[in-house]
Amino acid sequence: MDSQKVDMFLMTNAKYFHGHHLNYIRERLMLLDDSKWMSLHGVDLKDPTMILIVSIIGGGALGIDRFLIGDTGLGVAKLLTCGGLGIWTIIDWFLIMDATKQKNMEKLQQYL
Amino acid sequence: MTKKKLYLYIILSTAAGYAWVLWSLHNYTKHSSITPCLFKNVTGIACPSCGATRSLLEITKGDLYIALMINPLGFVIAAILLIFPFWILYDSLFKRQTLYNAYLKFERTVTIRPIAIILILLVLANWAWNIHKGL
Repeated sequence: MDSQKVDMFLMTNAKYFHGHHLNYIRERLMLLDDSKWMSLHGVDLKDPTMILIVSIIGGGALGIDRFLIGDTGLGVAKLLTCGGLGIWTIIDWFLIMDATKQKNMEKLQQYL
Repeated sequence: MTKKKLYLYIILSTAAGYAWVLWSLHNYTKHSSITPCLFKNVTGIACPSCGATRSLLEITKGDLYIALMINPLGFVIAAILLIFPFWILYDSLFKRQTLYNAYLKFERTVTIRPIAIILILLVLANWAWNIHKGL
């Protein structure tokens, strides 16, 4: 893929990934075939800020934040335990953005 | 989710679960008016799993009907607390990963749309019942 397309993808999607992954993503995208360009845009990336808002306004206690990013197992655990007796809810306010970025990376990895 | 991470999470959470139940058994009358549930403390209404501790305590006494009436989710948690430690022990003794495979299969199964809708409706119904009971 030419560098213009890759840079465009990175510019629009940089906030979905960890900073230290961006270089790796750029390198792999350069090697990618042009035909993958459309399917690359179909990847269901979640906005970390949006998930954090869900987590803070009450979704955290019910595990909705974990369900949204695709951690269904942990979501069920969170739902069953009232958000880990309230402790896990608070911990996740700080962890959920990183977890979201990690999940986004896993989703993109399937195409790289 | 890697296998090691999952097993660590399960061991830590079941240990915390047992500690919480044991602590509640000894202090039930003292803390019955206080709840650790963030949702209930903020909004004032019960969350879907409020009453699970009381349900677990009734199960330890053998009053299964009362436990069911307080919150049926108590049985799910009781089953997890009883089975998972032995399951992990089995996996680590025989160097297998049956629990990890079951977890992955569970995640795939509950995201199938009809099953997900039924489960969500069940949780919502239980939640409505919780609020109605005023837990």
